[in-house]
Amino acid sequence: MAIRRLLIANRGEIAVRIARACRELGVEAVAIYSDRDADAPHVRAADRAVRVGPAAPAESYLNIGAIVDAARTSGADAVHPGYGFLSERAAFAKACTDAGLIFVGPPASAIDAMGSKIGARRLIERAGVPVVPGQTPADQTDAGIEAAARAVGFPVLIKASAGGGGKGMRIARDGSSLAESIPAARREAQAAFGDGTLYVERLIERPRHIEIQVFADAHGHAVHLFERDCSVQRRHQKVIEESPSPALTPALRERMGAAAVAAALACGYQNAGTIEFLLDGRGDAGRFYFLEMNTRLQVEHPVTESVTGTDLVRAQLHVAAGGALPWAQADLTQRGHAIECRVYAEDPANGFLPQAGPLLVYREPAGPGIRVDSGVEQGAEVPVQYDPMLAKLIASGEHRAAAIARAVAALRRFPILGVRTNVAFLVNVLRHPAFAAGDVQTSFIDDHLDDLLDAPAPSDAVMAAAAFARESPSATAAAPAAAADPWRDLRGWGR
Amino acid sequence: MWTSGDVEVWRRGDELFARKGERVERMFAAVAGDVTWVFHDGVTYRIEAPSAGRRRGPQSHGSLSSPMPATVVSVQVAPGDTVTVGQTLIVLEAMKMELPVRAPGDGRVKSVNCKAGDLVQPDVSLIDFE
Repeated sequence: MAIRRLLIANRGEIAVRIARACRELGVEAVAIYSDRDADAPHVRAADRAVRVGPAAPAESYLNIGAIVDAARTSGADAVHPGYGFLSERAAFAKACTDAGLIFVGPPASAIDAMGSKIGARRLIERAGVPVVPGQTPADQTDAGIEAAARAVGFPVLIKASAGGGGKGMRIARDGSSLAESIPAARREAQAAFGDGTLYVERLIERPRHIEIQVFADAHGHAVHLFERDCSVQRRHQKVIEESPSPALTPALRERMGAAAVAAALACGYQNAGTIEFLLDGRGDAGRFYFLEMNTRLQVEHPVTESVTGTDLVRAQLHVAAGGALPWAQADLTQRGHAIECRVYAEDPANGFLPQAGPLLVYREPAGPGIRVDSGVEQGAEVPVQYDPMLAKLIASGEHRAAAIARAVAALRRFPILGVRTNVAFLVNVLRHPAFAAGDVQTSFIDDHLDDLLDAPAPSDAVMAAAAFARESPSATAAAPAAAADPWRDLRGWGR
Repeated sequence: MWTSGDVEVWRRGDELFARKGERVERMFAAVAGDVTWVFHDGVTYRIEAPSAGRRRGPQSHGSLSSPMPATVVSVQVAPGDTVTVGQTLIVLEAMKMELPVRAPGDGRVKSVNCKAGDLVQPDVSLIDFE
């Protein structure tokens, strides 16, 4: 059954990108919007639009009842969840299928199976995919935890079995520090979660974050579309993603790809998904461990599209409608190199604090090998209610250095004024010698933060332009405030 | 076209161009209240006016100072002069740019604490008002 009308249960750049795939396929796109988004780009990118609630996400983009109703009343036959919001809620997938709608994603059972960390780990282990060695010992005495630490192998992480967020977490590099760290971890776990049960896990030091794109259809076929290296992260959020990974060799790539396909088949997966791994070391000797599965389309999917020459959203709609996978594994190759930079409204110098405000100037760069996926535009306001990602800039080239050079050149011509952004920070990452060398672990940003925050003082030309802008505001780029004495406004500058 | 020291600036829409000798720099600028944003070569500069607490009222009183190290190019008033809002009082040079210090309001000059050629430091009074 072909999809004729698709409700896009999301907002921002991903909703715009899905609407583009619809246009290309001749599928009608139905947008949903909150009161904050009535005139947003994703609404105008669609053929129809339905209001689902007030600005607060809980009442609009997370409102399962309102969204399923919108799909029904608009006559949609399918729902695409995008990423974030409801995309990994089994209850939403189930509500869609119960309403007779095609859910463009995996079955609710697969979302459920991979949503539980412990359940997913067990399932994955049974499929023969390596997981980070660890255990929750039945004997929770100091001696029992110590025995578990020796069995798992040092260095180990001793952490609360009940929760995350770094609470109740201790690193032990050898047996000598256990006497102190076990009781401390237990006390913290008890205080934070009301449960002092401890979990002991091998500490993977300075890992890389490598993920494999997988795709499965309803006919029992699954393929992988190679890796994305997402090691450049801050606060566990990805900033730059690329493919191929500088750390992988063909042999390691093949092992990781096969493991990812096995994992997808093990949970009865369908549609696009991503298996995230931690990689210890690099090259043929690298060891990888299952981290988690993302049961949806990823933010960074354009990286894979660029190097494989595929359209993952198009394939998602095809497979969701019951079609067979459009590719066999042997059809898929990586060609050249692609890098995605996430442009955020945030202040890197201030702990990457998200920023809201007006986009007084917003001009996307263009040119060979440059793709910009965005859901914002000049004159709009970056709202406080939603994710501060403004755009994704994807640069591709015949090899890694060419892709980096294109990304740098494009970012240097990506003016965004009115809110602080991470554009200069991204340029500094791409130009950093360690990044150029492909020597990037998940600690990269913390390791090099001072270098990455470096910013030049304003030049004469910049100061002259600032003074000029105040003297003669342009029609489009000036907010209502009147221009005044330029000298008054040159007192102190920030960045 | 607009000139500041040896920098020529002109505008095409939101784009600003600054010429210094043979070099032409392409920039974008936008003004929002007290903040001027300038984008140049991948870097966004956020140039702020003084905080509201330091801003003067409609009347000139107290004193005027330089916010950064600067050289005094000329002093155009003398003690006892009555000045009106917007009138140029002193011309400073900093960052190779000449910048007029204008009267923030109507008032009467009590004392002038600098002369042409002086290097002045931030937060040192240049002119006191009655």
